[in-house]
Amino acid sequence: MGPASAPFIALMIVAATGSVVGTVWLWPRFARQRIRVLAARLGLIVGSQVLVMAAILSYINGYFSFFDSWSAVFGNGTPPPAAATGIVGSPRPIMITGTDLGPVPGGGSALPELADGRPAPKPPHIYTQHHATTEPSIVPGLDISGGVARAARSVGEVLQVTVSGEHTGIGSAANYVYLPPQYFQKAYARTRFPVVLSLTGYPNDPWSIVKRLAVPATAARLVAQGKIGPAVYVMMNVSVALPRDTECTNVPGGPQAETFLAEDVPLAVERTFRVQSGRAGWAVLGYSTGGYCAAKLTMMYPDRFSAAVSMAGYYTAIKDSTTGNLYGGSRAYQNENNLNWRLTHLPAPPVSVLVTSSRVGEKDLPGTLAFLRLIHPPMRGYSLIVAQGGHNYRTWNRQLPQSLEWLNQRLAPAAPSPRGAGTGG
Amino acid sequence: MGLTSPALLAVLAVTAGALLAAVLWWWPKVAGPGLRPVLLRIAALGALQVSVLGLIFVVVNRSAEFYASWSDLFGVPSGGGVLVAGQYDASQSGGSQATPPVTVSASSAVAVPGSPKEPGGLLQTVRFHGQLSGLSVPGYIYLPAGYRGASAPAGRLPVAVAISDQVASARDPYGAGQIAATAARQMAGGGLARLILVMLPAHIGRDDQGCLDVPGGSQAATFLTEDLPQAMESAYPALAPASRRWALVGDSSGGYCALQLAMTNSETFSAAAVPPGEYTVPPGAGVFGGSPEIRTQDNLSWLLRHQPMQPISVLFTGPGRAQPFLSQARPPMRAGQIGLTTGKWPLARVLDWVGGAVKPQPAPRS
Repeated sequence: MGPASAPFIALMIVAATGSVVGTVWLWPRFARQRIRVLAARLGLIVGSQVLVMAAILSYINGYFSFFDSWSAVFGNGTPPPAAATGIVGSPRPIMITGTDLGPVPGGGSALPELADGRPAPKPPHIYTQHHATTEPSIVPGLDISGGVARAARSVGEVLQVTVSGEHTGIGSAANYVYLPPQYFQKAYARTRFPVVLSLTGYPNDPWSIVKRLAVPATAARLVAQGKIGPAVYVMMNVSVALPRDTECTNVPGGPQAETFLAEDVPLAVERTFRVQSGRAGWAVLGYSTGGYCAAKLTMMYPDRFSAAVSMAGYYTAIKDSTTGNLYGGSRAYQNENNLNWRLTHLPAPPVSVLVTSSRVGEKDLPGTLAFLRLIHPPMRGYSLIVAQGGHNYRTWNRQLPQSLEWLNQRLAPAAPSPRGAGTGG
Repeated sequence: MGLTSPALLAVLAVTAGALLAAVLWWWPKVAGPGLRPVLLRIAALGALQVSVLGLIFVVVNRSAEFYASWSDLFGVPSGGGVLVAGQYDASQSGGSQATPPVTVSASSAVAVPGSPKEPGGLLQTVRFHGQLSGLSVPGYIYLPAGYRGASAPAGRLPVAVAISDQVASARDPYGAGQIAATAARQMAGGGLARLILVMLPAHIGRDDQGCLDVPGGSQAATFLTEDLPQAMESAYPALAPASRRWALVGDSSGGYCALQLAMTNSETFSAAAVPPGEYTVPPGAGVFGGSPEIRTQDNLSWLLRHQPMQPISVLFTGPGRAQPFLSQARPPMRAGQIGLTTGKWPLARVLDWVGGAVKPQPAPRS
């Protein structure tokens, strides 16, 4: 029973309700005017207040997908070894752990919708048997038939995946991949798609990118409207060792989070899906901590990524109680993870970065503008500042369509192959 | 009263405090039996709970700035922003783009030893200009016979990088001329498939120590893993490093560099041929940025024991004790040891091994 699961949240709500009922019930027993009784009254009130608070927190945790597992809340901050995923040493760096994701509970589908706005039918769940990861030319879903196949071809599909890092040994479960409808269409059967690596904030579960930021739904809508081309969205947890905040940093003597996200993940995705392999076809998008990481990974690995969108990110190397000693106690190494320091002490990389913020409600606005001012060629900076909006998904939802269109202008498009176009549609 | 205003905070704090005091004080008034007192209890408790929760929410929201205003919290999301491109004047855009990633200062034909008429390829004296590291590094590039320029449509070639302080020596087996001649000889003999060789000095930065990114100093690892592949891909028909078919060769001066790069950047380098050794500390002054953890990580035998086995091939070349490393290497890492060839071409077998390690695999796609 995970902290974000419906049974747990229900249990917490029952406990909170029980405590309120119990307080009302026991009320008359503490009606005499004595000091000791006053303490008992206070105890009852505090007790039920705490339980109500806990119920609300667990609901909020479920809503925003902060923590998905107890190890993410109480773990010791070491990354789960890839061996724990059971796929180490196998030719499958990505294991598909779920496809039957269904409509999003609570209304407002964040999963791809049909053109008329109806939620898409349940996607096919066939990959675990048939998807050969060593053979990227195989088109997942093409061998399925009936309504699910039509659904995949018209709206695409969200897969839940576990990624195991070949070089770092880090395993990361419960991440998501959105394959656009074109991925399943015959005209694109030989096309390799551009990839947007999308990163969560900290602490967060990648389901929030699907559900709250609504990347698949927004991308599907923009593609249907002809505003952007199809791309594969790989939605990853930016933290590799929750509850520790690893800040996509290669921790000296610790988790190599940077190498995992910048090298292991792209290699795993390239080997599993029909995607482009050059820098022209790869970009990173993220919010909050994910924004910092999108900018950092792109600036540090320009051979891997050509563009980044940092939504409400920050640009210095933070160090606090959740990160612990990320830099091996080295000021110099911390500087190397500070993007402002990099821009003033190292050559600028040939990449484009879009930073977003808001005039009112985002405390990182001054830091964002300072970073923007430091950018110089061959690096290119772009900004998208909304008038008002806090550090929340509503603000980022508003910024997402323009951000995806900006990315679309920079990524190598997925062109249908002439051969395939003649045979299908 | 704004969501983040101090006034709201003050009102909520006073309300919550007053409600708590009132409930504690007038508790007995609603303690009686009957529906009315029960409803009053529920109302009192509810009001207190809501005011405390509201206070906590406003405090947390103010410190983290989750929601900027009431409309941000409850309203219909509206109002996109304007996307603005940064303005950069033309003089700025000069900079690093004006410098090509590699410039060739001299070029000479390589003769195949023993059969001087046969074409043996080309040896270029070059200088690399690291676009990302900012390092300017002298070096040599050997291009095999049949090389027809950077834009040749023929297949791209794998790359091996030799690292030695003797790179400029005419006699040392790790000198550029000697390595080029050995490669030409092995290729002519059929023992070595065509590849491009890059030969670099073992010290490629001011404070370089074994091709590490010195914290706050020379970014030698960045040069070798980002700048060099980018230069070779853009100026030569070199295979992309993402193909992971690049190899490293080092002598006693460049051995740490080669082994360290393969062990920490196996996504670029898939093989290293180095002399046997301990490799517990990098050569040089030992600049660890004041971090004991970074010092630990620079110990290659620690890395071998503590990080996952990398998908690389390691070859220990020549005499020496390689057993500690060999006994710890596990798949997917492969490790072995060979002796140097006696006679005029000591690196002949090493280069043959490198050629096998970097040989392009058949494309997996259909």
